[in-house]
Amino acid sequence: MRTSNLAALGLTLVVFLALSAAAMAGGNAENGKKIVQARNLGNCAACHVVPGMEFPGDVGPDLAKSMEGYAAKDRDTVWQWVWDARKFDPDTIMPPFGPNKLLTKEQVDDVVEYLYSIKKK
Amino acid sequence: MSRLGRVLVMLVCAFGALTAGAWRYALAADEAAPQIKEYKPNISAREYEKRYNAVYGKYTEQMAEEGNPADFMLDDGKDLFSKVEGSAGKSCASCHGANGEKLKGAAAGFPKYDPATKGINTVALQINRCREDHMGAAPLKYESYDQLALDLYVKSLSNGVPIKVSIDGPARPFYEAGKAYYYKRHGQFNFSCALCHVKYSGHMMRANLLSNNRHHADHWPSYRLKWAGTGSLQRRFRGCNKNVRQKPLPFECETYRDLQLYLTYQANGLPIQVPGFKM
Repeated sequence: MRTSNLAALGLTLVVFLALSAAAMAGGNAENGKKIVQARNLGNCAACHVVPGMEFPGDVGPDLAKSMEGYAAKDRDTVWQWVWDARKFDPDTIMPPFGPNKLLTKEQVDDVVEYLYSIKKK
Repeated sequence: MSRLGRVLVMLVCAFGALTAGAWRYALAADEAAPQIKEYKPNISAREYEKRYNAVYGKYTEQMAEEGNPADFMLDDGKDLFSKVEGSAGKSCASCHGANGEKLKGAAAGFPKYDPATKGINTVALQINRCREDHMGAAPLKYESYDQLALDLYVKSLSNGVPIKVSIDGPARPFYEAGKAYYYKRHGQFNFSCALCHVKYSGHMMRANLLSNNRHHADHWPSYRLKWAGTGSLQRRFRGCNKNVRQKPLPFECETYRDLQLYLTYQANGLPIQVPGFKM
Protein backbone atom coordinates (compact mmCIF):
# COMPACT_ATOMS: atom_id res chain seq x y z
CA MET A 1 0.00 0.00 0.00
CA ARG A 2 2.69 2.41 1.15
CA THR A 3 4.97 1.53 -1.72
CA SER A 4 2.21 2.06 -4.29
CA ASN A 5 1.41 5.48 -2.76
CA LEU A 6 5.05 6.47 -3.03
CA ALA A 7 5.20 5.23 -6.59
CA ALA A 8 2.11 7.26 -7.49
CA LEU A 9 3.64 10.33 -5.90
CA GLY A 10 6.88 9.74 -7.79
CA LEU A 11 5.03 9.31 -11.08
CA THR A 12 3.05 12.53 -10.49
CA LEU A 13 6.29 14.37 -9.81
CA VAL A 14 7.89 13.04 -12.97
CA VAL A 15 4.85 13.99 -15.08
CA PHE A 16 4.72 17.44 -13.48
CA LEU A 17 8.41 18.05 -14.12
CA ALA A 18 8.11 16.84 -17.70
CA LEU A 19 5.15 19.16 -18.28
CA SER A 20 6.90 22.19 -16.80
CA ALA A 21 9.97 21.41 -18.89
CA ALA A 22 7.78 21.36 -21.99
CA ALA A 23 6.26 24.70 -20.97
CA MET A 24 9.68 26.24 -20.40
CA ALA A 25 10.81 25.06 -23.81
CA GLY A 26 8.33 27.58 -25.26
CA GLY A 27 4.83 26.26 -25.69
CA ASN A 28 2.98 23.85 -27.89
CA ALA A 29 2.26 24.79 -31.50
CA GLU A 30 -0.77 22.45 -31.77
CA ASN A 31 -2.38 24.10 -28.74
CA GLY A 32 -1.41 27.47 -30.14
CA LYS A 33 -3.23 26.72 -33.38
CA LYS A 34 -6.41 25.89 -31.43
CA ILE A 35 -6.13 29.13 -29.43
CA VAL A 36 -5.51 31.20 -32.58
CA GLN A 37 -8.57 29.69 -34.29
CA ALA A 38 -11.00 29.66 -31.34
CA ARG A 39 -13.52 32.49 -31.53
CA ASN A 40 -13.63 32.85 -27.75
CA LEU A 41 -9.82 32.93 -27.31
CA GLY A 42 -7.42 34.35 -29.89
CA ASN A 43 -9.90 34.76 -32.76
CA CYS A 44 -6.90 36.08 -34.71
CA ALA A 45 -8.61 35.72 -38.12
CA ALA A 46 -10.95 38.55 -37.09
CA CYS A 47 -8.14 40.91 -38.11
CA HIS A 48 -5.31 38.81 -39.63
CA VAL A 49 -4.87 36.41 -42.52
CA VAL A 50 -4.26 33.05 -40.79
CA PRO A 51 -3.27 29.95 -42.80
CA GLY A 52 -6.25 27.66 -43.38
CA MET A 53 -8.92 30.09 -42.13
CA GLU A 54 -11.63 31.49 -44.37
CA PHE A 55 -12.94 35.08 -44.47
CA PRO A 56 -9.97 36.63 -42.70
CA GLY A 57 -10.06 40.29 -41.64
CA ASP A 58 -7.71 42.87 -43.12
CA VAL A 59 -7.23 45.16 -40.15
CA GLY A 60 -3.84 43.67 -39.21
CA PRO A 61 -1.07 42.11 -41.35
CA ASP A 62 -0.92 38.55 -42.74
CA LEU A 63 0.52 36.57 -39.82
CA ALA A 64 2.72 34.21 -41.83
CA LYS A 65 4.16 37.14 -43.79
CA SER A 66 4.73 39.31 -40.75
CA MET A 67 6.63 36.43 -39.09
CA GLU A 68 9.24 36.64 -41.87
CA GLY A 69 10.80 39.56 -40.03
CA TYR A 70 11.44 37.58 -36.83
CA ALA A 71 14.31 35.12 -36.23
CA ALA A 72 14.34 32.57 -33.39
CA LYS A 73 16.23 35.05 -31.20
CA ASP A 74 13.39 37.59 -31.52
CA ARG A 75 11.04 35.32 -29.61
CA ASP A 76 10.58 37.87 -26.78
CA THR A 77 9.48 40.54 -29.28
CA VAL A 78 6.88 38.24 -30.86
CA TRP A 79 5.71 37.27 -27.38
CA GLN A 80 5.34 40.94 -26.41
CA TRP A 81 3.28 41.65 -29.57
CA VAL A 82 0.75 39.03 -28.53
CA TRP A 83 0.87 39.82 -24.81
CA ASP A 84 0.51 43.62 -25.11
CA ALA A 85 1.13 45.32 -28.46
CA ARG A 86 0.75 48.76 -26.87
CA LYS A 87 4.47 48.57 -26.07
CA PHE A 88 5.20 49.00 -29.81
CA ASP A 89 2.22 51.19 -30.75
CA PRO A 90 0.38 52.95 -27.89
CA ASP A 91 -2.68 53.54 -30.14
CA THR A 92 -2.88 50.03 -31.58
CA ILE A 93 -6.26 48.36 -32.12
CA MET A 94 -4.81 44.98 -31.08
CA PRO A 95 -6.36 43.90 -27.78
CA PRO A 96 -3.91 43.61 -24.87
CA PHE A 97 -4.32 39.83 -24.57
CA GLY A 98 -2.15 39.50 -21.45
CA PRO A 99 -3.03 42.47 -19.23
CA ASN A 100 -6.76 42.18 -20.03
CA LYS A 101 -6.72 38.46 -19.19
CA LEU A 102 -7.85 37.29 -22.63
CA LEU A 103 -5.00 34.74 -22.64
CA THR A 104 -2.71 33.32 -19.94
CA LYS A 105 1.09 33.36 -20.17
CA GLU A 106 1.07 29.67 -21.13
CA GLN A 107 -1.47 30.31 -23.88
CA VAL A 108 0.66 33.15 -25.26
CA ASP A 109 3.66 30.77 -25.21
CA ASP A 110 1.62 28.32 -27.30
CA VAL A 111 0.48 31.02 -29.73
CA VAL A 112 4.08 32.20 -30.22
CA GLU A 113 5.16 28.62 -30.88
CA TYR A 114 2.39 28.32 -33.49
CA LEU A 115 3.42 31.63 -35.10
CA TYR A 116 6.98 30.33 -35.58
CA SER A 117 5.55 27.13 -37.06
CA ILE A 118 3.69 29.05 -39.83
CA LYS A 119 6.67 31.25 -40.63
CA LYS A 120 7.62 30.79 -44.29
CA LYS A 121 11.08 29.25 -44.51
CA MET B 1 19.66 96.26 -2.04
CA SER B 2 21.64 97.27 -5.09
CA ARG B 3 19.93 98.47 -8.22
CA LEU B 4 20.94 95.25 -10.01
CA GLY B 5 19.41 93.20 -7.16
CA ARG B 6 16.11 95.11 -7.39
CA VAL B 7 15.98 94.65 -11.16
CA LEU B 8 16.62 90.95 -10.72
CA VAL B 9 13.84 90.59 -8.14
CA MET B 10 11.43 92.46 -10.40
CA LEU B 11 12.34 90.23 -13.33
CA VAL B 12 11.79 87.07 -11.27
CA CYS B 13 8.41 88.36 -10.04
CA ALA B 14 7.31 89.29 -13.58
CA PHE B 15 8.36 85.87 -14.89
CA GLY B 16 6.48 84.15 -12.02
CA ALA B 17 3.32 86.13 -12.72
CA LEU B 18 3.53 85.37 -16.43
CA THR B 19 4.01 81.62 -15.95
CA ALA B 20 1.20 81.48 -13.38
CA GLY B 21 -1.08 83.27 -15.83
CA ALA B 22 -0.14 80.97 -18.69
CA TRP B 23 -0.64 77.93 -16.45
CA ARG B 24 -4.12 79.06 -15.43
CA TYR B 25 -4.98 79.84 -19.03
CA ALA B 26 -3.80 76.38 -20.09
CA LEU B 27 -5.89 74.76 -17.31
CA ALA B 28 -9.00 76.72 -18.31
CA ALA B 29 -8.53 75.76 -21.97
CA ASP B 30 -8.14 72.13 -20.90
CA GLU B 31 -11.41 72.19 -18.97
CA ALA B 32 -13.26 73.89 -21.80
CA ALA B 33 -12.48 71.30 -24.48
CA PRO B 34 -10.82 67.98 -23.70
CA GLN B 35 -8.22 67.33 -26.35
CA ILE B 36 -9.29 64.39 -28.48
CA LYS B 37 -7.11 63.44 -31.39
CA GLU B 38 -9.62 62.65 -34.10
CA TYR B 39 -8.89 59.81 -36.49
CA LYS B 40 -8.95 60.00 -40.25
CA PRO B 41 -10.26 56.96 -42.13
CA ASN B 42 -7.55 54.73 -43.63
CA ILE B 43 -9.79 54.15 -46.65
CA SER B 44 -11.12 56.90 -48.94
CA ALA B 45 -14.87 57.54 -49.18
CA ARG B 46 -14.98 56.25 -52.78
CA GLU B 47 -13.12 53.05 -51.93
CA TYR B 48 -15.40 52.58 -48.90
CA GLU B 49 -18.49 52.79 -51.09
CA LYS B 50 -17.01 50.24 -53.50
CA ARG B 51 -16.28 47.82 -50.66
CA TYR B 52 -19.67 48.41 -49.06
CA ASN B 53 -21.44 47.59 -52.33
CA ALA B 54 -19.28 44.50 -52.80
CA VAL B 55 -20.32 43.16 -49.37
CA TYR B 56 -23.93 44.36 -49.02
CA GLY B 57 -24.91 45.68 -52.45
CA LYS B 58 -27.06 42.91 -53.92
CA TYR B 59 -28.60 41.96 -50.59
CA THR B 60 -29.91 45.45 -49.94
CA GLU B 61 -31.33 45.52 -53.49
CA GLN B 62 -33.19 42.25 -52.87
CA MET B 63 -34.50 43.55 -49.57
CA ALA B 64 -35.80 46.71 -51.22
CA GLU B 65 -37.70 44.60 -53.77
CA GLU B 66 -39.28 42.32 -51.20
CA GLY B 67 -40.21 44.98 -48.65
CA ASN B 68 -39.26 45.62 -45.05
CA PRO B 69 -40.75 43.44 -42.28
CA ALA B 70 -40.76 46.51 -40.03
CA ASP B 71 -43.53 47.99 -42.21
CA PHE B 72 -46.02 45.96 -40.14
CA MET B 73 -44.72 47.63 -36.98
CA LEU B 74 -45.05 50.99 -38.69
CA ASP B 75 -48.77 50.28 -39.35
CA ASP B 76 -49.26 49.37 -35.69
CA GLY B 77 -47.50 52.60 -34.73
CA LYS B 78 -49.96 54.57 -36.81
CA ASP B 79 -52.87 52.93 -34.95
CA LEU B 80 -51.25 53.65 -31.57
CA PHE B 81 -50.86 57.30 -32.56
CA SER B 82 -54.61 57.79 -32.54
CA LYS B 83 -55.36 55.46 -29.61
CA VAL B 84 -56.81 57.36 -26.62
CA GLU B 85 -54.91 56.56 -23.42
CA GLY B 86 -54.51 58.06 -19.94
CA SER B 87 -56.51 60.29 -17.59
CA ALA B 88 -56.72 63.29 -19.98
CA GLY B 89 -58.66 61.24 -22.54
CA LYS B 90 -56.29 62.17 -25.35
CA SER B 91 -54.26 60.44 -28.00
CA CYS B 92 -51.14 61.73 -29.78
CA ALA B 93 -53.43 62.70 -32.67
CA SER B 94 -55.50 64.99 -30.39
CA CYS B 95 -52.64 67.54 -30.41
CA HIS B 96 -50.50 66.61 -33.40
CA GLY B 97 -53.22 66.07 -36.04
CA ALA B 98 -55.00 62.96 -37.25
CA ASN B 99 -52.12 61.94 -39.51
CA GLY B 100 -49.46 63.66 -37.44
CA GLU B 101 -49.35 66.62 -39.85
CA LYS B 102 -47.89 68.87 -37.17
CA LEU B 103 -44.97 66.49 -36.60
CA LYS B 104 -43.70 66.45 -40.18
CA GLY B 105 -39.98 67.20 -40.06
CA ALA B 106 -39.95 67.35 -36.24
CA ALA B 107 -37.75 64.27 -35.82
CA ALA B 108 -35.01 65.80 -38.01
CA GLY B 109 -34.00 68.07 -35.12
CA PHE B 110 -33.63 65.26 -32.56
CA PRO B 111 -31.77 64.56 -30.34
CA LYS B 112 -31.90 68.09 -29.02
CA TYR B 113 -31.20 70.05 -25.84
CA ASP B 114 -34.20 70.40 -23.54
CA PRO B 115 -34.05 73.41 -21.17
CA ALA B 116 -36.66 71.82 -18.85
CA THR B 117 -34.46 68.85 -17.97
CA LYS B 118 -31.13 70.49 -18.86
CA GLY B 119 -30.30 67.38 -20.84
CA ILE B 120 -30.55 65.79 -24.26
CA ASN B 121 -33.96 64.69 -25.46
CA THR B 122 -34.45 61.84 -27.92
CA VAL B 123 -37.70 61.17 -29.82
CA ALA B 124 -38.32 58.12 -27.60
CA LEU B 125 -37.87 60.19 -24.44
CA GLN B 126 -40.05 63.00 -25.82
CA ILE B 127 -42.90 60.59 -26.62
CA ASN B 128 -42.87 59.26 -23.07
CA ARG B 129 -42.74 62.78 -21.63
CA CYS B 130 -45.76 63.75 -23.75
CA ARG B 131 -47.63 60.70 -22.53
CA GLU B 132 -46.96 61.55 -18.89
CA ASP B 133 -47.37 65.34 -19.03
CA HIS B 134 -50.18 65.79 -21.54
CA MET B 135 -52.05 62.48 -21.74
CA GLY B 136 -51.77 61.34 -18.13
CA ALA B 137 -50.69 57.95 -19.47
CA ALA B 138 -47.97 55.62 -18.25
CA PRO B 139 -44.63 55.85 -20.07
CA LEU B 140 -43.91 53.02 -22.50
CA LYS B 141 -41.14 50.60 -21.59
CA TYR B 142 -38.13 51.25 -23.78
CA GLU B 143 -37.60 48.73 -26.57
CA SER B 144 -41.08 47.24 -26.00
CA TYR B 145 -43.14 46.62 -29.15
CA ASP B 146 -45.51 49.57 -28.63
CA GLN B 147 -42.70 51.97 -27.77
CA LEU B 148 -40.73 51.03 -30.90
CA ALA B 149 -43.87 51.17 -33.07
CA LEU B 150 -44.77 54.68 -31.93
CA ASP B 151 -41.17 55.87 -32.21
CA LEU B 152 -41.01 54.43 -35.74
CA TYR B 153 -44.26 56.07 -36.82
CA VAL B 154 -43.30 59.49 -35.43
CA LYS B 155 -39.92 59.33 -37.17
CA SER B 156 -41.48 58.13 -40.42
CA LEU B 157 -43.42 61.43 -40.53
CA SER B 158 -40.01 63.05 -41.23
CA ASN B 159 -38.92 60.54 -43.85
CA GLY B 160 -36.92 62.29 -46.57
CA VAL B 161 -36.32 65.38 -44.41
CA PRO B 162 -32.58 66.14 -44.02
CA ILE B 163 -31.30 65.61 -40.48
CA LYS B 164 -30.53 68.96 -38.84
CA VAL B 165 -29.21 68.46 -35.35
CA SER B 166 -27.85 71.45 -33.46
CA ILE B 167 -24.82 71.26 -31.17
CA ASP B 168 -24.70 74.99 -30.50
CA GLY B 169 -24.97 76.63 -27.09
CA PRO B 170 -26.14 74.44 -24.23
CA ALA B 171 -26.06 71.25 -26.40
CA ARG B 172 -22.31 71.57 -26.91
CA PRO B 173 -21.10 69.94 -23.65
CA PHE B 174 -23.39 66.94 -24.30
CA TYR B 175 -22.00 66.61 -27.82
CA GLU B 176 -18.46 66.74 -26.39
CA ALA B 177 -19.38 64.08 -23.81
CA GLY B 178 -20.72 61.85 -26.59
CA LYS B 179 -17.56 62.38 -28.58
CA ALA B 180 -15.39 61.60 -25.55
CA TYR B 181 -17.26 58.31 -25.08
CA TYR B 182 -16.85 57.57 -28.80
CA TYR B 183 -13.08 57.94 -28.56
CA LYS B 184 -12.59 56.28 -25.16
CA ARG B 185 -11.32 52.69 -25.01
CA HIS B 186 -13.85 50.22 -23.64
CA GLY B 187 -14.19 46.64 -22.53
CA GLN B 188 -11.86 43.68 -22.30
CA PHE B 189 -10.88 44.13 -25.96
CA ASN B 190 -9.90 47.75 -25.29
CA PHE B 191 -11.60 49.13 -28.43
CA SER B 192 -13.07 52.57 -28.93
CA CYS B 193 -16.06 53.15 -31.23
CA ALA B 194 -13.89 55.48 -33.33
CA LEU B 195 -11.15 52.90 -33.92
CA CYS B 196 -13.48 50.59 -35.85
CA HIS B 197 -15.94 53.09 -37.30
CA VAL B 198 -13.57 55.92 -38.25
CA LYS B 199 -9.94 54.75 -38.50
CA TYR B 200 -10.60 51.24 -39.82
CA SER B 201 -13.99 51.81 -41.46
CA GLY B 202 -14.12 49.92 -44.74
CA HIS B 203 -11.76 47.21 -43.47
CA MET B 204 -13.02 43.69 -42.92
CA MET B 205 -13.29 42.24 -39.43
CA ARG B 206 -13.64 38.56 -40.32
CA ALA B 207 -16.63 38.53 -42.70
CA ASN B 208 -18.03 41.87 -41.50
CA LEU B 209 -17.35 45.21 -43.09
CA LEU B 210 -16.58 47.85 -40.46
CA SER B 211 -19.12 50.53 -41.28
CA ASN B 212 -18.49 54.24 -41.54
CA ASN B 213 -20.23 56.34 -38.87
CA ARG B 214 -21.65 58.83 -41.39
CA HIS B 215 -24.69 56.60 -41.92
CA HIS B 216 -25.11 55.20 -38.42
CA ALA B 217 -27.99 57.31 -37.16
CA ASP B 218 -30.27 58.04 -40.15
CA HIS B 219 -32.42 54.88 -40.29
CA TRP B 220 -33.48 53.74 -36.79
CA PRO B 221 -35.60 51.90 -35.70
CA SER B 222 -34.46 49.25 -38.21
CA TYR B 223 -35.31 45.66 -38.99
CA ARG B 224 -32.13 43.68 -38.43
CA LEU B 225 -31.70 40.15 -39.77
CA LYS B 226 -29.38 39.22 -36.89
CA TRP B 227 -32.13 40.09 -34.42
CA ALA B 228 -34.91 38.73 -36.64
CA GLY B 229 -36.75 41.79 -35.38
CA THR B 230 -36.88 45.54 -35.17
CA GLY B 231 -34.86 47.53 -32.68
CA SER B 232 -33.48 50.97 -31.89
CA LEU B 233 -30.07 52.54 -32.34
CA GLN B 234 -29.54 52.17 -28.58
CA ARG B 235 -30.12 48.43 -28.84
CA ARG B 236 -27.32 48.47 -31.40
CA PHE B 237 -25.15 50.43 -28.94
CA ARG B 238 -25.73 47.67 -26.41
CA GLY B 239 -24.72 45.07 -28.98
CA CYS B 240 -21.50 46.95 -29.70
CA ASN B 241 -20.77 47.22 -25.98
CA LYS B 242 -21.15 43.45 -25.67
CA ASN B 243 -18.96 42.88 -28.74
CA VAL B 244 -16.05 44.59 -27.02
CA ARG B 245 -16.91 42.72 -23.79
CA GLN B 246 -18.17 45.75 -21.92
CA LYS B 247 -21.25 45.87 -19.72
CA PRO B 248 -24.09 47.40 -21.78
CA LEU B 249 -25.79 50.52 -20.38
CA PRO B 250 -29.54 51.04 -19.79
CA PHE B 251 -31.75 52.41 -22.59
CA GLU B 252 -32.03 56.20 -22.72
CA CYS B 253 -29.34 56.73 -20.07
CA GLU B 254 -27.43 60.00 -20.29
CA THR B 255 -24.37 58.43 -21.94
CA TYR B 256 -26.39 56.79 -24.73
CA ARG B 257 -28.33 60.01 -25.38
CA ASP B 258 -25.04 61.98 -25.63
CA LEU B 259 -23.66 59.30 -27.94
CA GLN B 260 -26.80 59.44 -30.07
CA LEU B 261 -26.42 63.21 -30.35
CA TYR B 262 -22.80 62.82 -31.46
CA LEU B 263 -23.66 60.16 -34.05
CA THR B 264 -26.75 61.94 -35.38
CA TYR B 265 -24.68 65.08 -35.84
CA GLN B 266 -22.35 63.02 -38.08
CA ALA B 267 -25.42 62.27 -40.23
CA ASN B 268 -26.47 65.93 -40.55
CA GLY B 269 -27.79 66.66 -44.04
CA LEU B 270 -28.76 63.06 -44.81
CA PRO B 271 -32.48 62.32 -45.20
CA ILE B 272 -34.24 60.32 -42.46
CA GLN B 273 -35.11 56.85 -43.80
CA VAL B 274 -37.13 54.66 -41.44
CA PRO B 275 -37.61 51.80 -41.04
CA GLY B 276 -34.08 50.77 -42.00
CA PHE B 277 -33.08 47.28 -43.07
CA LYS B 278 -29.81 45.94 -41.73
CA MET B 279 -27.86 42.70 -41.90
